[in-house]
Amino acid sequence: MKKKLAMLCAAAVTLSTMAGMGVSAESIVTEPTELTYIFADGDEGAKASMNEIVNRFNEAYPDITVTIEPGNGGAYSEFIKTKDSVGEFPDVMEMRDTALYVRAGKLEPLSDEIVSLFMTTTEFDGEVYTAPLAGENTNGIIYNKKYFDENGFTEPTTYDEFIELCEAIQEKGDMAPLVVGGQDIWHMGFLFHKVYNDQVLSQDPDFIEHCYDGSKDFSDPTFKAALEELQTIMSYAQDGWVSTPDAQITTFLVNDMAAMMYSGTHMFSQILAADPDFEIGWFAVPSPDGKLRLVGGGGVGGLAISAEAAQDPNKKAAAEAFIKFFYEPENYKVYCETLSAIPATVEQPEMDVLDVLQEVIDATNAADDLAPMWNGRVGNNELPPDFRNFTYKTAIEVLQGTRDIDSACEELNKTWQVAMQSFNPLDGTGIE
Amino acid sequence: MKTKKKGFDKVTFMFVAPAFIFFTLFLIVPTVSSVYYSFTSWDGISPNIKWVGLANYKEIFTSARFGNALKNTLILTFFISIFENLIALGLALLVDNVRVGKKFFRSAFYIPVLISGIVSGFIWKIMYNYNFGSINSILTSIGLGEYRQDWLGNTKLTLIMIGVVLVWKGAGYYMIIYLASLQSVSPELLEAAQIDGASPWQRFKSITLPLISGAFTINFTLSLINGLKVFDQINVMTDGGPGFTSETLVYLLYKVGFNEGRQGFGTAVGMMLLFLIIILNTIQQKFLRSREVQM
Repeated sequence: MKKKLAMLCAAAVTLSTMAGMGVSAESIVTEPTELTYIFADGDEGAKASMNEIVNRFNEAYPDITVTIEPGNGGAYSEFIKTKDSVGEFPDVMEMRDTALYVRAGKLEPLSDEIVSLFMTTTEFDGEVYTAPLAGENTNGIIYNKKYFDENGFTEPTTYDEFIELCEAIQEKGDMAPLVVGGQDIWHMGFLFHKVYNDQVLSQDPDFIEHCYDGSKDFSDPTFKAALEELQTIMSYAQDGWVSTPDAQITTFLVNDMAAMMYSGTHMFSQILAADPDFEIGWFAVPSPDGKLRLVGGGGVGGLAISAEAAQDPNKKAAAEAFIKFFYEPENYKVYCETLSAIPATVEQPEMDVLDVLQEVIDATNAADDLAPMWNGRVGNNELPPDFRNFTYKTAIEVLQGTRDIDSACEELNKTWQVAMQSFNPLDGTGIE
Repeated sequence: MKTKKKGFDKVTFMFVAPAFIFFTLFLIVPTVSSVYYSFTSWDGISPNIKWVGLANYKEIFTSARFGNALKNTLILTFFISIFENLIALGLALLVDNVRVGKKFFRSAFYIPVLISGIVSGFIWKIMYNYNFGSINSILTSIGLGEYRQDWLGNTKLTLIMIGVVLVWKGAGYYMIIYLASLQSVSPELLEAAQIDGASPWQRFKSITLPLISGAFTINFTLSLINGLKVFDQINVMTDGGPGFTSETLVYLLYKVGFNEGRQGFGTAVGMMLLFLIIILNTIQQKFLRSREVQM
């Protein structure tokens, strides 16, 4: 009898101890649940912060195990497609081609409770499918402040002053004015968006919609002007820019091989990791018309839940719990601080913000125009799949002199016509 | 005498079945279904598959991008078929004739074959790097800095540089086949020719070469097929770039099928590649088989 009592006591103690651990007693799931999670892990900061948050979640929710699977950051979109085609679509993922997967019925709408966590979200037919990881990555010139101070260079306030600055650094000859990671096609997108924003969107914010309805095409003078501006800026890039990967551009900056780079705020942490003493300067390059147009605000991408996984109530509950946990201020802070990201949540984490990041935030508040990248728009301005990459590759051909601007525009027009046959939001092709 | 007619042999079928099922499921079914998909505008994800008839094939024949990929594929295939075999034959002759360290050389030349395509691509990509790569560093350190090149960024060099990596990686494999063939050449024949006063070149040209022609057929066929379907190194080293400079048919197929969400068109490119392999291989077999000598 004594033995039985002792065993009962032990069991009671064990149960009460377990109830005190984590959040399992709240019965989010009815049985141990495993979730697969994939994100674009090309960036070291993203990898480190995601691992940290997932570890915290797994500790806090003993009944749920989130397993990170490698995400192949360099070619993330095709990686996710491959995972889908082999039946390994993740339960929770960083989603970039949101419109494509929403149309294919692969994503689960997020609950109102999750949607209410964010300042802005993107809707598809009244439903929200992605929880934005951060405000859109604002691009600008990140420069070597020490080098600027030593040589009397100052931050330009107009586009012409920026070109004069590049010219002055090039004439000095001790380093390249600009480092560009042209081997990574998405990196080229930063500069391409700048010139496209300056020349095309400034004149016609619905240029893509007008290409769909046939009233405009890529031989438009504004588009040609964008390629000309790109040629001008890229003439100050380092030798070998076309075979330089994005991962190497920090090396150029911290080793006095280049004075400036045009990239997003995610680079701040990478630069400081490479050289903690590096003095980072930042400025936005105004458009030639004097206006300040920046990338910013909420985007279409973010964390999403697989529709298939959501059919299992336990998985759905676990996935929602994970997303809510991710955006809790103390966890979200890890992500935002590591990537120098601008928080997208209503309840902002208390961040130890770098002065330079504060400059970016101030610039986005003062910008004349704040919008997502040209390829991040939805509705009638959504691009056909991968037209973005085709454009960047064609632009590289122009920059390398293997194609002139007129022929590049013709090639884009041809490809556009073909792409429109399988995707056109105006008549619903490829959407229904 | 009446012979017993053989019926359905269950035991034989049981032995054949696993391979038959595997082959059917993973080769026959996908190939046949590819023919169907090539006539659709399927995006690879959506359950809605729309029949578009010959539209994909029509686009192929009018697409400058397909033409560029076809040209690149043929250049690369021609380059590696020639150089892989020339170097492999040279290495095989070296290993066959060397007196000391035969096993060492054989292993050393074979090692690149054991490295995966992705890894070899990464290694060479680092070596080719314009600013930090070992090739340009060596050129600078020996006073030849003016010959530094953006090996993968210069559009005139990109395909050749990829070809070099493919030859470096593949030659060891073909060397083994040539070596096996060289070692089967009768020493008596060579000795007889030597006694008759034939020079080393005459012996090689008139005796060795005809007798190893079977190895030529195998090696050229393999290098042709490998050249036509090269993918790993391009994916890792250039992503088909700069621009579209190194985009081959397989890479185009992958890009349009997976990146651009045009599985239907990608499959049509795959069908064209299949026809190209069949045509080139048939021509090559006909040419090489006619030159084979049986002992």
